[in-house]
Amino acid sequence: MRSPIYQIDHLVHRYHGQPVLDIDQLLIQPATIMGLAGPNGSGKSTLLKLMAFIMRPDEGQIYFDGVPALPFGSVVRFQVTLLTQEPYLMKRSVFNNIAYGLRVRGQGEDTAGRIHEALEMVGLDPERFSGRQWSELSGGEAQRVALAARLVLKPRVLLLDEPTASVDAVSSELIRTASLRARQEWGTTLVIASHDREWLYDVCDEVIQLFKGRMTGTGRTNMIFGPWQEGGDGGFHKRLGDGRRLIVPAPPHAEAIAFIDPAAFRILDSPADPVAEHEACIDGTITRLSLERHSGRLYADVRAGSMTLVVCVEAAHVAAMTLHRGWPVRLAYRPERVQWH
Amino acid sequence: MDFILAGFFEAIRLLLGGDAQTWSAVAATLKASTGSMAVSLVLGIPLGFVLGYVDFPGRRQTRLLVDTALALPTVFIGLVVYAFISNRGPLGGLGLLFTLRGIVVGQTILALPVVIALSAAAVENMDRHLRTLLITLGASRRQLLFSSLWEVRFGLLAAGLAAYGRVMTEVGISMMVGGNIKWHTRTITTAIALETGKGMFATGIALGLVLIAIAFMVNVSLSFLRKR
Repeated sequence: MRSPIYQIDHLVHRYHGQPVLDIDQLLIQPATIMGLAGPNGSGKSTLLKLMAFIMRPDEGQIYFDGVPALPFGSVVRFQVTLLTQEPYLMKRSVFNNIAYGLRVRGQGEDTAGRIHEALEMVGLDPERFSGRQWSELSGGEAQRVALAARLVLKPRVLLLDEPTASVDAVSSELIRTASLRARQEWGTTLVIASHDREWLYDVCDEVIQLFKGRMTGTGRTNMIFGPWQEGGDGGFHKRLGDGRRLIVPAPPHAEAIAFIDPAAFRILDSPADPVAEHEACIDGTITRLSLERHSGRLYADVRAGSMTLVVCVEAAHVAAMTLHRGWPVRLAYRPERVQWH
Repeated sequence: MDFILAGFFEAIRLLLGGDAQTWSAVAATLKASTGSMAVSLVLGIPLGFVLGYVDFPGRRQTRLLVDTALALPTVFIGLVVYAFISNRGPLGGLGLLFTLRGIVVGQTILALPVVIALSAAAVENMDRHLRTLLITLGASRRQLLFSSLWEVRFGLLAAGLAAYGRVMTEVGISMMVGGNIKWHTRTITTAIALETGKGMFATGIALGLVLIAIAFMVNVSLSFLRKR
């Protein structure tokens, strides 16, 4: 096995004294695609900025290629690049924006040809766009130019922080395709933070869940926010609308967040089937079926009232092909499998 | 009204006719202002960048001091510089009193806070994403500094123009430190004050128009550079 391109040890970072990131250990192998999932404020952007060596962590160490690395370090300066959510360009032409990274590297040879190639990768006509000023681009075009400015460098690591959050569908698809080409063509390691979990699970070799700056696991999970209400029988539940309730064990505090593994849910063969003792059930409708590429597992999105639950589909259901979009299903689960954070 | 109109025609005659006294004042003004602006920009832009970019202890207090210095009266600067460079002053041995170099010192004190304060404001208003962008594209610390300054070049240009405007139009420093010596330290503004005192309104207006013409040419040149 190759040595990791990133090794993150005991990383802690704070803003105004408040910890925003606390990661004990994280390893990323070269030429892999890693996804970072989690709600706003979970520390995804901070982690990417630290991995891009834009700032130094308050505690802990980031090793790059086995070597401790810091901002402006010669080990990482020309290896890692980050594309942020907001399309931001320097106040100069498209050509000069893309050429900047080549110039600081002293790579002056065939600049025009490389910029031409990078613009084509992101779906922009080099003849039309090279000479345009930064102010003459739409948001989607600016973000594609920003990506071209990274791709022209053929980076070893490309960090993408919600790269498609502020752009239209066409630009979004072009950005996704171009990013993946970087790995195919140059073996670039990709780390992608996104709220688009389907994209993450489709393209990533591994997806890490972040919550309040901590890693809460890998792979898919259901993260359910309160408020939690106490039922008459001493149990707790969350109202999901349409009379549905998600029954949970007693939460540690009112603002606790429940995590439920998609494998904790069992899709009943028929909504009329009895559930086992100590199992709770909830009714919903299948809204999507998706295949996790690297594991080969099938997942179903089940809409239950106001919430969508991700459920791991058992092999028997896949074989019987009894699940389709729009079908009503009943889910059974053991409330004690709910984990609290 | 006649004397104003006469002043206008006198200005044309003085300039086109190559009046030696007028051109001497123009030359003195340009020499002093160029010297003071060069020193102010070389010192002021880096200091303004540090003040606007680096979060050091005492930054707010420093900013307050610089902002206060924006309102320094020119006669007060003239008085302080005079006190320092006169024969009895600590810098009397340098022989700066009643010289253009003395005026340069005073005008630098006038222009420096303007350049620092407006450069700092331009840097503070710089997009917070710029630093991330430059580092992530591989910029070194030095490239980060120069590329950031280039990005706020229009703000720096405005800082330079504002400072130049103060330097060109001041009269207190030139009068007190320079002494308004004919053929030597007489600038356009001190010449205007003198001519007006003598009742020579037409010459005063002519010199004023010359000053405005210089300011106009500087602005046109910078406007051309900005378009590029």
